[in-house]
Amino acid sequence: MINRTSIINQPDKISFFDDVYKLQKKYQDSLISGRSNMNFIWLGEHQLCYTIGRGSNMSNLLFSADEQDVFKIDRGGEVTCHMPGQLVTYLVLDLSNFKKDLNWYLRRLEKIIIKTLRSFNIDCSTKDGFTGVWIGERKIASIGIGCKRWVTIHGFSINVNCKLENFNKIVPCGIEGCQMVNMSDYSKNIDIKEVKKIVKNIIHEEFKFNFV
Amino acid sequence: MTHEIFMPALSSTMTEGKIVEWLKNPGDKVERGESVLVVESDKADMDVESFQDGYLAAVLMPAGSTAPVGETIGLIVENQDEIASIQEQNKDKKTEVSSDGQLELPNKKPEITEEKQKEVPKINEQEVEIKREKVLATSNEIQFNASTINNSSRLIASPRAKKLASTMGVDLAKVHGSGPHGRIQADDVLKANGQPVSIPWIGEGSSPATIGSFSVQAERKSKTLGNSFGKPGETVQFNTLQKAVNKNMESSLNVPCFRVGYSINTDKLDSFYKKVKQNGVTMTALLVKAVAKTLKKHPQVNSSFSENGISYPENINIAVAVAMEDGGLITPVLKEPCNTDLFELSREWKDLVKRSRAKQLEPDEYSTGTFTLSNLGMFGVDRFDAILPPGTGAILAIASSKPTVVANNDGSISVKKIMQVNLTADHRVIYGADGASFLKDLSSLIENEPETLVA
Repeated sequence: MINRTSIINQPDKISFFDDVYKLQKKYQDSLISGRSNMNFIWLGEHQLCYTIGRGSNMSNLLFSADEQDVFKIDRGGEVTCHMPGQLVTYLVLDLSNFKKDLNWYLRRLEKIIIKTLRSFNIDCSTKDGFTGVWIGERKIASIGIGCKRWVTIHGFSINVNCKLENFNKIVPCGIEGCQMVNMSDYSKNIDIKEVKKIVKNIIHEEFKFNFV
Repeated sequence: MTHEIFMPALSSTMTEGKIVEWLKNPGDKVERGESVLVVESDKADMDVESFQDGYLAAVLMPAGSTAPVGETIGLIVENQDEIASIQEQNKDKKTEVSSDGQLELPNKKPEITEEKQKEVPKINEQEVEIKREKVLATSNEIQFNASTINNSSRLIASPRAKKLASTMGVDLAKVHGSGPHGRIQADDVLKANGQPVSIPWIGEGSSPATIGSFSVQAERKSKTLGNSFGKPGETVQFNTLQKAVNKNMESSLNVPCFRVGYSINTDKLDSFYKKVKQNGVTMTALLVKAVAKTLKKHPQVNSSFSENGISYPENINIAVAVAMEDGGLITPVLKEPCNTDLFELSREWKDLVKRSRAKQLEPDEYSTGTFTLSNLGMFGVDRFDAILPPGTGAILAIASSKPTVVANNDGSISVKKIMQVNLTADHRVIYGADGASFLKDLSSLIENEPETLVA
């Protein structure tokens, strides 16, 4: 039976990375064990923190790990940075109900980001071999996911109007010289709440969800 | 008992994956469903779980290395006392693998020749002759590739290719690598050894898509091997397997069978097969999946005769006929193909074929079929009819897919690849209309939506 029901959680307050990570894990575990058949989507912002994937190269972290919150987590990709002003979207989905294909899933996430930005008249694109969404040579959105028994965890982040200096402490995504960019550089007076609403609608469209 | 951990396909386009981290160390206990390692492709990480309670006995590809989809990357054993022997057997393998999964050939070469010499005396004369012929045949085909043999004399080969080369006694230095940058793949080694690219030569049906190359392979095989078990003037006793087949075939004489045939356009199936082939998907797995999915809609065709009435099995298990080189045939069974994805199904099939040739199948693995497939497509056969195996209700004979001039409904003419299939069924349980509507749906699935066979 195809199940496309999802719980959606979109707090307005800034959340601690660790709390949301635990929440994602909880939903992932119950989908894996079959205790629940609810997909889970989270949209929000984090306090400043850095996360790295299990295969990440620690040398991309240009500071000592005890200076800042650094979380080593179960996703692909290299180091990244979260902070207020950046919209983070997590999707805990059972891909058995969609398509058991991680490449398909990553491309679908890129599509969601592109559609979101286009609705703000921001022209952006994907780059072959460099997952994420780009405006020319500058990166506006990053993707990193994990998967266990085809149940996904983590997702993507879009820079809306965050302090990009925070990225200077790392080599974002392990790409030397990678420059980050904000939506607010292209669209004045942008409100993250607006972006959140649009991302939610596009996710609904792309994954044909019933939100509860 | 040893269970292999394979590099999983995280997507239909993935050809190789990187091992990020082993979450377990050799010797560690693992439970079914527990994550053993993490594989990465692009920005996605996947936890690979054990399908087995047991112990991680060996890590064949270390963290940081890259392996092709389907490659064996680790071994799990059921009992703790098996660990030591597995580790001993695989000691060399682990140290050989450099972090990028490539191999330095020069150090390894003397060992290969040694193994080859050791092997030869064990084989009887007739086979040695065949082997020599094979070498002659292949020497014409050997191509030297500048990128494979360069100044640094460093050869690049996949771990599987390396393993095959050492067991078959193929000199890697003389193999033309078809992979990226001349990397030698398993298929290259098989080709160099004069064997068809896929393992079995009956049953591995590759009927559509690769018919050209396969008919050539089959021809070459018949020239070198010939299919005779005795010399002219001799009478040779049946071997056990041949006796068993005889008994089964004779019992079919008591079954009132009928046949019904269908012509299926395989153009879409062929192009889908081309796409998924690189991920290790075999044509047999595709056909088995298509048949199983159609049987699900037609339970009558999966039924069989019993003294008490029509017996409907609980499962759909597809048996596929595989000819044995020394006579007789065996029907390894793919159980519940509807519940297995295409990639896993292909792996299961390769494993079954490998073990049936080594005569290592458990009875449960060749006697539990509820429906049988027999494929002679690789020989270019345009149609044939199969004999019903006892205990089942139907068998499907699959012929080669050939370009055929077709008159379309609108009166136009076109050339399409057409494959003839022929169902033999027990009329006591399956009637003409059952067989015909089964074939109609099978044909529609193959002609219109082969891509749904993935899951």
